[in-house]
Amino acid sequence: MPNSPTSSERSSLPSIAAAVVRALTPRAEREEVLSELTVEFRERVACDGSASARLWIWRQCAQSVPHLVRRSVWRGTTGFEPQSSRMNPGGPALEQWIMDGRHAFRRLTRRPRYALLSILTLALGIGGTSAVFGIARGVLFDPLPYKNAEGVALFWQQYSWTQKEFAFFRGAFPGFSSVAQYTDYDATLELGDAPAQLVPGISASSELFAVLGAQAAMGRTFNATDDVRGAAAVAVISHSLWVELGGDPSVLGRRIQLGGKPTTIVGVMPKGFWFPAPTTRVWIPEQLDPTEQNGKFTLVGRLASGNTIDRMAAPLAQLTAALGKNFQYTPQFDKSKNAWVKSVRESFVGPLRPTLYATFAAMAMILLIACANVAALMLGQVEGRSSELAVRSALGATQGRISMQLLSEALLLGGLAGAVGGVIAAISFRWLIAALALGEWGNNAVLDWRVFAIAMFAAIVCSVVISLAPTFSLWRGRLRDVIGSSRTGGVRGRGIRLESALVVVEVALAVLVTAGAGLLVRSVDKLYAINPGLETKGVGVLSVVLPSDLSDVRRAQVTGQLIDAVRVLPGVKNAATVQMLPLRASAWNAGIVVEGKPDLPGSTTLVRLVSDGYLETMGIALRQGRLLSAADMMYDFADSSGGVVVINESLAKKYFPGENPLGRRVNSGFSRKFARIVGVVGDAAEGELRGPMAPVRYAPLVEAPFVNSTQHIVFKVKGDLRPSALLASARAAVHATQPRVAIQEGTTMDQVLARSVGPARQLLTIVALLTALALFLGAIGIYGVMSHFVARRQRDWGIRIALGLRPVRVLSGVVGRGTRLVAVGVVCGLVAFVLLAHLMRSLVYEIQTTDPLAIGASIIVLLLVGVAAAMIPALRASRTDPAIVLREQ
Amino acid sequence: MSEETLGAFEEQVMLAVLHAGDDAFGMSVRRQIEARTDRDVAIGAVYATLDRLEAKKLVASTRDTSSTGSRRVFRATASGRRALAHTREVRDRLWRGVDLAART
Repeated sequence: MPNSPTSSERSSLPSIAAAVVRALTPRAEREEVLSELTVEFRERVACDGSASARLWIWRQCAQSVPHLVRRSVWRGTTGFEPQSSRMNPGGPALEQWIMDGRHAFRRLTRRPRYALLSILTLALGIGGTSAVFGIARGVLFDPLPYKNAEGVALFWQQYSWTQKEFAFFRGAFPGFSSVAQYTDYDATLELGDAPAQLVPGISASSELFAVLGAQAAMGRTFNATDDVRGAAAVAVISHSLWVELGGDPSVLGRRIQLGGKPTTIVGVMPKGFWFPAPTTRVWIPEQLDPTEQNGKFTLVGRLASGNTIDRMAAPLAQLTAALGKNFQYTPQFDKSKNAWVKSVRESFVGPLRPTLYATFAAMAMILLIACANVAALMLGQVEGRSSELAVRSALGATQGRISMQLLSEALLLGGLAGAVGGVIAAISFRWLIAALALGEWGNNAVLDWRVFAIAMFAAIVCSVVISLAPTFSLWRGRLRDVIGSSRTGGVRGRGIRLESALVVVEVALAVLVTAGAGLLVRSVDKLYAINPGLETKGVGVLSVVLPSDLSDVRRAQVTGQLIDAVRVLPGVKNAATVQMLPLRASAWNAGIVVEGKPDLPGSTTLVRLVSDGYLETMGIALRQGRLLSAADMMYDFADSSGGVVVINESLAKKYFPGENPLGRRVNSGFSRKFARIVGVVGDAAEGELRGPMAPVRYAPLVEAPFVNSTQHIVFKVKGDLRPSALLASARAAVHATQPRVAIQEGTTMDQVLARSVGPARQLLTIVALLTALALFLGAIGIYGVMSHFVARRQRDWGIRIALGLRPVRVLSGVVGRGTRLVAVGVVCGLVAFVLLAHLMRSLVYEIQTTDPLAIGASIIVLLLVGVAAAMIPALRASRTDPAIVLREQ
Repeated sequence: MSEETLGAFEEQVMLAVLHAGDDAFGMSVRRQIEARTDRDVAIGAVYATLDRLEAKKLVASTRDTSSTGSRRVFRATASGRRALAHTREVRDRLWRGVDLAART
């Protein structure tokens, strides 16, 4: 017969084995099992030796674990408790969790409306937040596909460096180990008889891949000789283009018709590599011409080892001094001033940061509001069950047990919300990327398991946070006292104060979201109020890329054919082309020379090469003289008398102050030959929507000694037709007319305008949705707390109405209380908003971040919502029938 | 109601409870099985099976707080004994006519 061992004897049992057995055995059996095991263990040590005994206990332990776990699950799900353990119930933790989970599930299914509301609100917050987090991670934080990416930097004044400048410093840029130049090269790719497709790419100097520290997955990158004049045309292609070409290793050495030129593929980059944009699919060497002064290149360099961006001041000073000494600059485009270098990450995705951060913040606030809402709902439920909880407490349930049950209810809600939130994240992921207009950067964000992991993590954190409020309320009060007061119907303050505090938090957060939305609405309003000087409505855009092997004359002819093809489409009123669209901050400057004004300080203006009818199509107003006609397009290159040009008002004001510019002559842009000014048009936002209007020359397309490969065909539709509806037929017409032309993009000028309005516009849709959600959740919170308040005081109302209190006084009392709650929330929210508003500075335009109109509107909206939400329980209270209430009590 | 047929291990545990008599607690049941079947039996498996048998009302447990400390003591119920008898009967029926020595 075994005796109960002393503690020192028991210590001989391996402690881990003992802990495992203890953790998996029901409370009533623990001592017995451990004592018996210890006794047998000691017997075995005495008989067979310590090693054998240890082997035995570990075998017992290992073989028992699966049985004990299964038993815990079974007891948890069936609720089985043996007769002999009734006085000391309780299983291992696993069994308790399962039982609590079942209990929570039963309680939730009994209140489906509460459960559904809690799960949905939490799921929206969790789903939205994790989707935005996933996008932000992909776009802003994922490592770039370059070796030591923090050492790769872009130079100031992008797309404006010349080959001459690059050649001057090549191999000896101070502070850099190597520097490459590149410029966009969107080429046509012709495969067999299929219509030409557009391949976005860049043309770069041979150092490019060395600067990026990137190796080809197959074949090679650029050789030092690839960018020498006269070298054979070669190309490095992206993984995706390689797959499209058949995904065959024999692609190396294959000749493709790229940009109209036979080009040999020499390398394939690894999957995931991109530069300078995720959409780039081909890299070709730019054959260097050290005399070329066309400013269209961007410089990217790798910092010399040991250098960091912060320590570049001295090398940059050296560089700018040399630039100033060796090159002449106009003050407007002086490269020897305001020099900086920025890491590639900062240059590429830095501008997206405010949009993503603001969306994330708004989503996180929704999540917090949802948490506060569910916590308040749960608190109300706990209050409603106070008698039940008190009885359970009197029957021996500890506060810890009851708190655990609350936590399991919150965890169950959170778990379900996490699952639904994961689905919401998956569904909203692509929509969010499109709505945030991340463009090509959106491709870097991938929906993967991490988004779901974040959703579940957020759900668990939320559950714990949510269960804090009711647990706190439970621990603070004396549960057993409730039994005494529950039947008297006395007014109890416990819980209602905490619930009110949660509603105040909700309202404060809703103020933040609403006022933020107000600021965005006001900014966008102001931006749309800017007159861009052109008519965007009813104008469609089809951007095309012509093969670069066509001669300039032929290219002009093809362009003319394309315009004609679009112009004759049914529903199209007018069509024309331009080499650079307005509202896209496109540069394309050229030096200006005015006849008879030799002393004019050298400067440049924007130049737009247009076909006849462009100014009319865009609705740019004529102020003086005439617009460009079809006859102006028949320019004879041999004719030295020059052509014609139209200028805008800014140019007239700047170069012909107080004079009549008509009939005067300026160079048209790319040659020093003079062209006669035949008209003056109103200023249109050829650069950015914001900022001052720039001087512009509109020259006939054929005026330039070359015709751009990329042309934007713009067409005005008849009447109320939607231009987007005609894009498909315009595409078909272009392909039918000229299969060698690739289509880069089809859009509308309204969309171009919307993009130019900037991040505030992109955020508006999402923030508007979130604001509606915040207000809805706030309303539910206020409704919930006021309903509980009214329910608790029902007996009071009954007595007072019986004594002659007018129902309208009850109504005003309840609404007043609700309004006071909202007012406190609004004040807290305002203080927080004033403190945080500066974070929104980059998103607002021409208003203060503390704009009184936006803030005032949000206050009014919240007060209205608050009064409306309090009104329903107030009406209920005012209709209290004293007889019924008093009888119930 | 059709009689309960016990699983092999359930049958062993029931029989061990009967063999142990008044001294049928978890560890003694385990030892009984080990001694009679000559194989290692995990204490966890014994307790899990006893719980299942108790849930099916084939055994009943009481708490014995005598000099040896608090123990959960098991005894076979009447329906437990019937189930054992039934299980044996079923087994015997199955064995009837089986000749292991015969070649097929």
